Amino acid sequence: MNAGQMTGARRIPSGLIWVAPALMVLAALSIYPLLYLIKVSLTDAHGFTATHYARLFQDRLFVVAIGQTALYASVALTIEFLLGLALALLVDSLARGRAVIRVGILAPMLLPPVVAAVIWRLIYNPEFGVLNGTLRQLGFTTANLTWTNGRLTAMPSVILVDVWEWTPFLFLLLTAGLQAIPPEPIEAARVDGAGYWQILRDVTLPLLKPTILLALLLRLMDLLRIFDQIFILTQGGPGSATETMSLYIYRTAFRFSNFGYAAAMSFVGLLMTMLAARGLMRLMTGERVRKAP
Amino acid sequence: MTTRFLPACVLSLLVLLAGCASPGSDKTLTIAVNAGVEGSALKTAAREWGELRNTRIEVVELPYANLFEKESLDLASRTGAYDVIMLDDPWFPKLVADGGLTPLPREPDADFLASCLAVCRHPFGTRNYYALPYVGNSQLFFYRKDLFEKYKLGAPGRWEQILAAAKAIGAGEKMFGYVMRAAPGNPAVADFMPLLWAFGGDIFDAQGQPNLSSPEALEALRFMIELGKSAPPGYAGYNADEVSAHLLQGTAAMSINWPAWIAAMDDPSKSKVQGKIDFAPMPSARAPGVAELGAWLLAVPAGSPHRQAAFDLIYWATDAGQMREAALRGNPPTRRSLFQSGDLVKKFRAFPAQLAALEGARPRPRTPQWNEIENAFGVSLSQANSGAVSPEVAMQQANREIAAILERGK
Repeated sequence: MNAGQMTGARRIPSGLIWVAPALMVLAALSIYPLLYLIKVSLTDAHGFTATHYARLFQDRLFVVAIGQTALYASVALTIEFLLGLALALLVDSLARGRAVIRVGILAPMLLPPVVAAVIWRLIYNPEFGVLNGTLRQLGFTTANLTWTNGRLTAMPSVILVDVWEWTPFLFLLLTAGLQAIPPEPIEAARVDGAGYWQILRDVTLPLLKPTILLALLLRLMDLLRIFDQIFILTQGGPGSATETMSLYIYRTAFRFSNFGYAAAMSFVGLLMTMLAARGLMRLMTGERVRKAP
Repeated sequence: MTTRFLPACVLSLLVLLAGCASPGSDKTLTIAVNAGVEGSALKTAAREWGELRNTRIEVVELPYANLFEKESLDLASRTGAYDVIMLDDPWFPKLVADGGLTPLPREPDADFLASCLAVCRHPFGTRNYYALPYVGNSQLFFYRKDLFEKYKLGAPGRWEQILAAAKAIGAGEKMFGYVMRAAPGNPAVADFMPLLWAFGGDIFDAQGQPNLSSPEALEALRFMIELGKSAPPGYAGYNADEVSAHLLQGTAAMSINWPAWIAAMDDPSKSKVQGKIDFAPMPSARAPGVAELGAWLLAVPAGSPHRQAAFDLIYWATDAGQMREAALRGNPPTRRSLFQSGDLVKKFRAFPAQLAALEGARPRPRTPQWNEIENAFGVSLSQANSGAVSPEVAMQQANREIAAILERGK
């Protein structure tokens, strides 16, 4: 053994000592619960079983819940991103009053989701809510406008609440991203005669891409586990019109006391979230699987 | 250094030991109650009992949706977090099946109504008692007596008559003739069961197999949807709050409802229809009308470290004197003598109808899987009422899913 090898051999344990606390926290808070979840999902009263996983895709309510979650997440994410970006660009372009407008826009996000849902439940009430009341004042007929209680209006209604509450989150991140862009490339493009839309498309958005990716990823993961707003607003109804994965997992675990099946659904939900996040990253970065030459 | 810290260490140890005293020595009883009128009466009674017995009472008050999960987790893991639990009767089969409840040391007296006592036994109606009935809840039919008189409709007795009355009142008044709960899960099932029974159907046949594709069940669902045409749009997402708000605001004429809402109907701060709502037992159709039972029970978990004191509390809270106090606080009793007591009948005008409904009330099927069955069935019912699927598809779907739930439970 030469001196270099000896130094390397000594470095590994000392490095491990430094990262050990972080690894222990990670193991205790993430790895152990995940392994335990997998163990529970593969266990029933009689011991090891794969029946929970076999049941997953024969379960109509679970399949419906996956579809509704995907619909909810994709529509809400698209609207929140477009609105958040538009607001961020608008506020960024203002010469004065940015701080006041920013605080105003961020207000819904500061409310706990449960409080926001309760407020919207009152707003949406078909008979006594302020929304139909205002529409009636304006001369509209609201007899069939039942919002969260209507088969076709329930999903758009809960999505609207999410858009109202979480667009400010995207606005906040995208505003921070816009402020971090150095002014030189934009000024150079302007000197070269580029217009507003051309600068936006060819300079601002490409430079904003890492922030957009981060914002979309964080929001997507949050949307895929949506629970509180729907629990308060519709309880998944009417019928199964707003049933989502988290709601169904919650019921299975705590109402039906079937923790094994709930764990299997949770694990599949986690895999789906990881796949969706990976897909989004590929879409945003244009990354392709590298093939060996 | 050592001499300076030694007394401090000894003192700390003594404080720690005091904190770790055996659970039986602290004289604290923890009770889990429903956040609502039913729980309020028990909270007050428990505090009075605590003062009498020199025992500290800790009340854990939880909303309906969370109460079951907290109780079932405690009972399954025998943590002994609760000494007395308040439970809705459909939860009883699940909580007792896993050995989570302690059998009563002595049988309840004969003054309790038979329908309320039957749901406290395991297996149903036979063998040991594991709980005492505290709140005598069963559905009632709420209707606008003034409008029934105005349109010369006669007292509600049959469902066909209810449908005709809903149409007549809906056409003649600026209001909905009927309102019902059809949100998925418990609300839709609770409002459908009296119709199912009245049309001669049931969830299970004599062999215990799901029977929802029977002609009777299909007829009952078709009738529910027909009745829904006189209800506010969007009733397929309604729960008790929305139904009662319509009655209280005078925007609907009839509904199935629960005794907890009776007081609100005559409360001038909440109601625009004081004295106009009357109460009747469930209407009939092909078979006599039957209400669904929803009694609240008191039980002692097997893991309770203070079982003796806990039993003392639940027997005390359900004796005739204490139950009279609870009735005066708004809880329907489970004792016949109280329903027939002259001064209480004078104070609570719905008592005769409540007694009649309770005597004939039927509990939900006694299976530990009821929560899951009710969810699957309720989703199908809500879908049919919202127009997402036909009654035939809804019932076939429910039948199939309930069969699968039963199969998994074997």
